[in-house]
Formats: sequence, structure tokens, C-alpha cells
Amino acid sequence: MKITAKDIMSTQFHTLTSHMGVHQAVKLFKQASRAEGRKVFGMMVIDDSGGLAGILSMYDILLFMRPKHIHIWGMIDDIDIVGLVEQASEKTKSVLVGDIMTPDVITVTPDTHKLMILDIMIKKHVRRLPVVDNGKIQGIVYISDLFYDVLDRFMD
Amino acid sequence: MPAKVKNMLSGIVAKMAMRRQVNQLPGETSISDSINILIKYKINGLLVIDDGGKPVGVLSKTDIMGAYYAGLPIDLPLADIMSQPPLYCYPETFLEEALETMRDKAVYRLYVVDPQYQTVVGALAYPDIVGLLYRYCRDCEYSHHQQRNHRIKETMERIQVKAIMARGVKSVQVEDSLSQVMEQLSMYRFGAILVQGKDEAPVGVISKTDLVLAYKHGMDPGAPAAAIMSSPVQCCGGGELLEDAIRRMIFSDIHRLFVHGESSDSFVGVFSLSDAARSRSGSCHACISSRIRMDA
Repeated sequence: MKITAKDIMSTQFHTLTSHMGVHQAVKLFKQASRAEGRKVFGMMVIDDSGGLAGILSMYDILLFMRPKHIHIWGMIDDIDIVGLVEQASEKTKSVLVGDIMTPDVITVTPDTHKLMILDIMIKKHVRRLPVVDNGKIQGIVYISDLFYDVLDRFMD
Repeated sequence: MPAKVKNMLSGIVAKMAMRRQVNQLPGETSISDSINILIKYKINGLLVIDDGGKPVGVLSKTDIMGAYYAGLPIDLPLADIMSQPPLYCYPETFLEEALETMRDKAVYRLYVVDPQYQTVVGALAYPDIVGLLYRYCRDCEYSHHQQRNHRIKETMERIQVKAIMARGVKSVQVEDSLSQVMEQLSMYRFGAILVQGKDEAPVGVISKTDLVLAYKHGMDPGAPAAAIMSSPVQCCGGGELLEDAIRRMIFSDIHRLFVHGESSDSFVGVFSLSDAARSRSGSCHACISSRIRMDA
């Protein structure tokens, strides 16, 4: 029976580095999705020594792209959306993965119990948890791994 | 209330303009990690809290620029460089009064505190005030975006950028070091400064955000301005309507436009969101009547 993180984690994962430009990260999201055969919404970011520096998710990138005053746009119907998206994309050019990633990431160890992982994911609103052992990245547990493991009794 | 003259902001209170999402971080967070929040949320400052969640200070891009200039390590806790204490107003504080406090204390934001529970419920910054102002102006029947009332519109006196802008433009040279740029910015209390190339032609702008990113990227403060400036320079004409200039700034997330004079190759002033907030007006003087109608 699968009990701890090491039993359910994915060991096939792609990573980004903090010095990479955000536009390059976007390309790698697409590549990783293709290679892993699943939609990749977030990737681990590694530092120069290969340790975990943070996580960059699509949410982080979209948050950065979102115009700050969008709440006052409600009644305005003659905005040049194309121009605005272009302008926002232009801004990402000087920004690196390390600038907008979430640096303070919750991690688990290979021996963390899967129900503990479930608890962390629910309480902290995260969908992926890096599995780290003595500073070395071993894998990543996605919420879908956990979901199908815990609920596989309903599958047949 | 100190307002002597009725203007567009008369009677409007903080809770109508404040931003309810308040970014706050514990004081032990590193400067480096706090930069990620400032960049991602496009804010200029955040609230610093202690272990019990009590606000103890404010960290602004100006504080971070100071740390960069002083050569401090970027992994220092932000409690070491924050400004204290945070300045507050209440949800029912009149914007007029809030603006006055911001001007007197030379700060760009106030935190809005619930008087009963003493908890922070919002943040009020210049761009938020301008956003509210623009909404009223935009919906006004005298607005030039509206198609009706052509005759009134033609005879109405409209405020142009040149009436509100800060006159005179300071600049640095492309080969000046980032340290020199920071000295200029803090001396004049600017958020950004123009960069001139050969023949004094403007070639770019360096803002505090650019400097914060340079710090984050580990760039040597001796590097030339050209290494981090953004170009082209965002600009407008002095004769442009206030309303149009404000619209461009709030839609494109920029804080200032450099204003060129009659001949378009030199700049005569800077128009910023703070100037717009202080001007308390849209493009014409019809604001008060339109607001009364909208509020009713």
C-alpha cells in the first residue's frame, strides 16, 4: 500500500532557474506539459547549487501581467485590449523567474504520510508539494497524484 | 474638514477609494523575498507586521533603494530597513484630509484602520484616488467620451496636462552610475528620472522599480544607467486633456508621463499620478454636479 510521499510523488519533473527570463519560463511550461503528458501549472525553481529556490506557477505570471487598476474597467467598453496585453508582455522582458516566483515554499520529506500531505494541501491552498530530502529535490506530489491514490476505490 | 473650495473629492471618504487587498509581511522576511511581492502585485510599499500580526512599519521601494545604495546584503530582514511607524486613517476619513496627511508627512500611502477593532482593512495610495476620480470623470455626461451634449462640450473649458504637471525635468546621463542615479532620485524625491544620451536627447527612464530589480539581480551599483533604463520614454503633450493622460497611466500601469512642450524634442515637465490626485479634478469643472448625480 502507498503510504508516504515517496510512494505517490512524481519523479519525472521539469525545473526552472531563477536567472531565467519569464518569457523563457512560459516556453518551458509548454514543453514540460508536452513531455510529461499533463498540464503543468507550476514548476520548481532551482538555485545555482541545485537546491529548491521556489516555485513559479502560472498564477504568479498572470498576477504580474494583470493591470493594477483593472477593477475600474467594469463599465469601460472601448479599451484596446491588444495594445494593453502587448504592453504588459513588454514589461516581462526585464523580469526574471526569481523576481516573481514564490520563494517561501512548503516542502515535505519522502517519509511524510499522505494524509499529512492532504492536510497541508487543503490548509495552505497548494496543489503541489516538492519532496526534499537533506536539501535535495526528490520529486513533487501533485494534488492529482494524491486524489487518484486516495480515491482509487471509486475507479472501477 | 479643511476644504475651502468645493471640488470633486469633497465629501468622499477613504473607504470609497481604498484597496482592500493589503499586502503584509513579517519583519523577518528577507529584502530579497519582499521584492517578489512588490513586483508581482505592482505596489510601491507593503505593511510590515510582528509575530502577533500587529503592524510595525512600512517597507517602500525607496527604503529598498536606500539599502541598495548603502551596499547592504539583500538577505537582511526587512525589519532592518523599514520606515516606522505606519501612518493611518479611518474608513470614514475624508479624502481631502487623507491627501493633506500624505502631503504633510511626505508619504505615498496611508493604511486604513477599522476604528472599532483596530485592524487594517485597506490601503489608500495616490493611484487609488486617481482611479476613483477617473471613474467619476469617465461617467460624467460632460466627458468627451460621451457622445451626447456636444454643444456644452465645445464651450466648456478643459484642464490640460500643462496646468497640473510639475515644471522642469531633471536628468542623468547614460554613462552615469546607478549610485549617481540613486543620489539624484533621493535628492529630488523623484520616483523616476530621465536618462539623456549624447546631444542631451532623452533616451530612457530609470524608476525606483528598475533599481529594485537591479538590486535583486545582483547588479553592481557602479554599472551605467544605460544598463537598466527602460525606453522609449512614456510621454504626452502639454496640451493633452488631463482625463486622457490619466487614462493612459491607469490603463498601462505607469506612474508618470514626461511632458513635451511646443517643439516635441525636449521635455518641459512631468505629470504623475500623485500630481493627478493632488489636482483633485478631471478634465473640466463640471465634476461636482456629475458626482452628486452619480451618488444619488
